[in-house]
Amino acid sequence: MSRKIIKSKYDLYEEKIETIAEVPSEKEKPLAPNSKLKYVGKDVNRYDGYDKVSGSAIYTIDKVLPNMVFARVMVSPHPHAKIKSIDVSKALKLKGVLHIITNENTSEIPWYYNTSKLFDKHLRYQGDEVACVAAETEKIAEEALSLIKVEYEIMPHVVTAESAMKENAPKIHNNGNFGRPSEYTRGNFDEGIKQADVTIEDTFTTQVEVHNPTEVHCSVVNWDGGKLTVWDSTQSIFSVRDNVAQSLGLNASDVRVVKKYMGGGFGSKLEAGKYTVMAALLAKKIGRPVKAAMNRREMNLSVGNRPDSNQTITIGTKKDGTFTAMSHIAYGVMGAYPSGSSSYWPLRSIYKCPNIKIDNKSIYINAGRARPFRAPGHVQGTFALESIIDDLALKLGMDPIELRLKNYTEVDQDGDVPYTSKLLKEAYEKGAEEIGWKNRNKIPGSQTGEIKTGIGMASQIWWGGGAPPSYATLKLNSDGSAKIFSGTQDIGTGTYTFMQQIAADVLEIPIDKVNVDLGDTGTMPYSGGSGGSMTAPSVSPAVYDAAIQMKQKLISNAAAILEVDESNLIYSSGNISSKNDSSKSIEIKDVVGKIHERVLVTTGARNENPNGYAINSFGAQFAKVEVDTMTGIVRVKKIVAAHDIGRVLNRKTLENQFYGGVIMGLGYALMENRVIDDYTGKVLTTNLHDYKMPTMQDMPDIKVIIVSEEDNLISPTGVKGIGEPAMIPTPGAIANAVFNAIGVRIKSLPITPDKILEALNSKS
Amino acid sequence: MKMNLKFICNKNLVVTEVQPGKSLLDFIRKDLRLTGSKEGCREGDCGACTVLIGELENDRMIYKTVNSCIMPVGDINGKHLVTIEGLSDGKLNQIQNDFVEQGASQCGFCTPGFIVSLCGYFLSNEKPILKDAIDSLDGNVCRCTGYESIRNAINNSIVFLESNEGDSKRHIEKLVSSNFIPEYFLEIPQRLNNLSIDIQKDSVNGDAKQIIGGGTDLLVQRWEEIENADVNLIFNLHQNEKITVEDNICKIKATTTVSEFWESEIIKKYLPEITESLYLFGSLPIRNRATLGGNIINASPIADMTSILLALDAKLIIEGNSRKQIKLNEFYTGYKTMKLEPGEILDDIHIELPDEGARFNFEKISRRTYLDIASVNSSIYLVIDKDVISEVHLSAGGVAPIPLYLFETVNYLKGKEIAFETIKSAAEITLKEIKPISDARGSSAYKSLMLRNLLFAHFAKLFPNIIVVEELI
Ligand SMILES: Cc1cc2nc3c(=O)[nH]c(=O)nc-3n(C[C@H](O)[C@H](O)[C@H](O)COP(=O)(O)OP(=O)(O)OC[C@H]3O[C@@H](n4cnc5c(N)ncnc54)[C@H](O)[C@@H]3O)c2cc1C
Ligand code: FES
Ligand code: FES
Repeated sequence: MSRKIIKSKYDLYEEKIETIAEVPSEKEKPLAPNSKLKYVGKDVNRYDGYDKVSGSAIYTIDKVLPNMVFARVMVSPHPHAKIKSIDVSKALKLKGVLHIITNENTSEIPWYYNTSKLFDKHLRYQGDEVACVAAETEKIAEEALSLIKVEYEIMPHVVTAESAMKENAPKIHNNGNFGRPSEYTRGNFDEGIKQADVTIEDTFTTQVEVHNPTEVHCSVVNWDGGKLTVWDSTQSIFSVRDNVAQSLGLNASDVRVVKKYMGGGFGSKLEAGKYTVMAALLAKKIGRPVKAAMNRREMNLSVGNRPDSNQTITIGTKKDGTFTAMSHIAYGVMGAYPSGSSSYWPLRSIYKCPNIKIDNKSIYINAGRARPFRAPGHVQGTFALESIIDDLALKLGMDPIELRLKNYTEVDQDGDVPYTSKLLKEAYEKGAEEIGWKNRNKIPGSQTGEIKTGIGMASQIWWGGGAPPSYATLKLNSDGSAKIFSGTQDIGTGTYTFMQQIAADVLEIPIDKVNVDLGDTGTMPYSGGSGGSMTAPSVSPAVYDAAIQMKQKLISNAAAILEVDESNLIYSSGNISSKNDSSKSIEIKDVVGKIHERVLVTTGARNENPNGYAINSFGAQFAKVEVDTMTGIVRVKKIVAAHDIGRVLNRKTLENQFYGGVIMGLGYALMENRVIDDYTGKVLTTNLHDYKMPTMQDMPDIKVIIVSEEDNLISPTGVKGIGEPAMIPTPGAIANAVFNAIGVRIKSLPITPDKILEALNSKS
Repeated sequence: MKMNLKFICNKNLVVTEVQPGKSLLDFIRKDLRLTGSKEGCREGDCGACTVLIGELENDRMIYKTVNSCIMPVGDINGKHLVTIEGLSDGKLNQIQNDFVEQGASQCGFCTPGFIVSLCGYFLSNEKPILKDAIDSLDGNVCRCTGYESIRNAINNSIVFLESNEGDSKRHIEKLVSSNFIPEYFLEIPQRLNNLSIDIQKDSVNGDAKQIIGGGTDLLVQRWEEIENADVNLIFNLHQNEKITVEDNICKIKATTTVSEFWESEIIKKYLPEITESLYLFGSLPIRNRATLGGNIINASPIADMTSILLALDAKLIIEGNSRKQIKLNEFYTGYKTMKLEPGEILDDIHIELPDEGARFNFEKISRRTYLDIASVNSSIYLVIDKDVISEVHLSAGGVAPIPLYLFETVNYLKGKEIAFETIKSAAEITLKEIKPISDARGSSAYKSLMLRNLLFAHFAKLFPNIIVVEELI
């Protein structure tokens, strides 16, 4: 099948990502609708189910190599300091200690976009790396850390955006505490406000949320001559490969990154960790494999978080609810090193509005750096936007959904192009019906009694249409079994399974004949990181293409074997036969068996995205809550998640993804919160005791409604990603339901009992 | 000092020598090289490390779930340790099948812990109920799945087991024939007997200064140190009846776990209202190891059992050079300091059996309903004689450096009638009596407000006909 090289464009925030990619040169016939397929769209069990439930799945943290030693990293106990001197002599004398690296014996390796180094003498947060020890056991390595003597020059710290923005605030970087601002205008905001009959303005704040995947960040590294193999708990093997190769001055081809099973990432495992590079340096020196793992405390200090936000939103409307102007002025903390904290995108994109003004600032503070976290910016932005829209609806005397529909847009507000599909209206309808929207309190807070119930909703927009390049290789053996290889990764979302389903359906063979291997840069074709709801929409067309090509190859080979013209052959259920002569028929395994090498190989590629369209996923979630006005405790009783996500590949893994996103949103809405003590600059929530995540008892009833079918304008599989959409609207829906219950708006997340009580107290 | 250890791990006999204070999880993962049990937090807060500990009681095996990360390995001597690897023998068991069928894992890192916990639930409950099964998972955290598919999987397992009902075999045999556990479980009682280990004698090391009860505080706070220390494992000190009644006094051994306290027929009979609130304590695997003695001696200002025992006006019997008795409300002298000399052991806790008409209530506020330490807690014990309070004890946690007995409020309440005004005035006295500080669990103003509300809640709950919440707030 012919190929072409294109400049692949993909929008993610203001970044117009452009890469060169090889894609099928023509538009392929799409995969049949789910109703005509045996596996795709069905409740197929997870490919990796057995390994996971039996305890036999080996994660990076479980990996043991012969002769392996352990590395532990020493981190700064201070939020802001400079290293005056380090003395490792005592630690080196400890029996079992093999080597220690610090800034004194390590070449300068740039880190965090050149704003710091692998070992920087300037420590900008509690958790910044100071030294790394390799020892025979973890215990000895840990003990050695306590024997390293470091003299620090303690510097004044700032741990809140408000104090870091002050003129005389301690500077974290030479050029100050402000990162790259995000500014945007559309039309003329001031003019738009003048046209408004009603305006509303309010400020909302959200907290820092920590990823806390269950498996800690960790790597095992091993050198074989000049070649390095890294087993890593990662969401992006190729990023890790490139980061590590660059840091160590190696060729990309000399670094092989392998990931089979990993215990969650949620955005925190998209890049190489310092610990990986340190482990490689130590392993080189010692000549033995090294395992480097963080502990839960470091997970809460160092490896990323969702930045906080302070968002002031202004909306001007006509009496009938038509938006004339919107503005989003915000700031948030990105930690000690460059990242982003903006939260305006939902406001910029989801409703129709000609006049927009945006100014978001990202602030450095002395704390761990922010990283992408499941729908970065969108979760906090949607909470604020959807809260104020409900307030506005009340002010206008409109139904909240009616107000949203009034400002519904069929075209992308930025590019003025249509969406490949948008079924948000349908999501509103189906969701409202399922939650019983009619039954919500017409006057918020009007119920009597100790326990008050409320219903609320919020909308969602995300990208998640996927993009090239993404490739998958398919091999068919002479026993009829097939194997898929792709340099993507299954981070628990079900990548293995849908790849298996698609190949089995296209080749019309039993699903258990299809094997899948993912996550190895050394042997597999490229695919991108697993983040941003990109994996399924990028990878599924690639495996589809590989299978289509395989089918074609089989037919061509069968034509030669059977001596029948290709056009007279029919492919059906793994059999190829002549239309006219039923004696001329061959099973596909026998086709392969007749070929000299006894294996057929194809590599499929993700198609090019269509020109002149915007690709977005949409959805709405509805929440029903109970608020105990005596204790302030909120119980979420039910969540309805109604979404437009293109084709459902696997109902089971899809629902699971939604359940997980909703619960994560619930945790963010009600309990999760990284707390830093202003005075000492230290994080108070460094374990799972203090950093609370939802348990099974917090689980509401969750109902998932999918309003879409395949969107073949996007790709032949017609898939949009679901990882981020699942979480984006949950906190906003819960916040609106709480408002509907108690009649007082909680403008800051998490909505904890103390805030509810305070709000109720000040109301009465 | 190393200790000889003999126990059965899954199907296999293990005989070895260990430092008894070492974390069981480390022993399982690093020494036994069984990596199905995961480490998620090392503090009893995630359940990824959950294992089953089986013990012979009257020729029957009793299995309990525990967090292996914070359990000292010495405590498995003579017992049956079951890890995820021991739950399927060649083929997946029914619970595992249901997890696969319902897609109940994503990344799968938490999955072994959930499955072990569930097997523990089925082993100890002959009549499984979905809600109870879910409650038994209160110590397991999953960051990926949102729990719904896990619930569906459990539901399937329960339905499957019920459909297998009918034969009159013993519960454990039924679990084997229904493929919930492998067959080798049936031989374990005999094999344990053959080990001929005196669990009580073999784990107590009276010479060691460092006492460990369940270890649920110690192995969180000081595991590095405990790992190599000489330790006295007193968890198994009392094998017989831990809760008894003598001369109107209920005697509770300090090694009684929260689970044992909860399940005790005596407590259920005399203090039924207490058992209703114990689900608020930690999680099932924590309750299976947390001892009352440890709760008292750890001296956390927000210790739940201590709060309850303060309201029961408990007396402590302390064993040392001599045997002494101290009232719990006079025991603490400051933050984590108390009238306990080095080498002394808390042996017994005595409470008087409640009078007829006595009422009890425990309230706790935390950010997460389950598996959470309280921000503020409070317990009350009341005896009412014609609407007049004839006896009262009241405690408050999280509002002072020690678990607080509210002496002044108690004095005020004695002899008063249960009425709206009494309670309002009592709350005012309480607020003067406490000294909350601001911390990660809440600001001091919030804690005061909470405690006031908890006081109201006590009365509203106990006397709903007299006290109406809405009027109070
Ligand atoms: C995840 C988790 C959740 C928790 N949730 C709660 C909760 O909801 N409410 C709550 O109150 N607590 C909670 N805790 C704390 C803890 O479980 C309790 O305090 C428990 O009762 C401690 O008992 P233990 O036997 O495990 O103590 P250990 O850790 O064994 O001992 C604690 C201290 O007491 C000493 N000690 C123990 N027994 C004796 C004795 N008989 N005589 C003299 N000294 C003794 C030990 O030397 C040590 O200093 C939780 C802990 C964890 C890890
Ligand atoms: S590792 Fe988290 S409870 Fe043991
Ligand atoms: S499946 Fe990932 S933590 Fe539960």
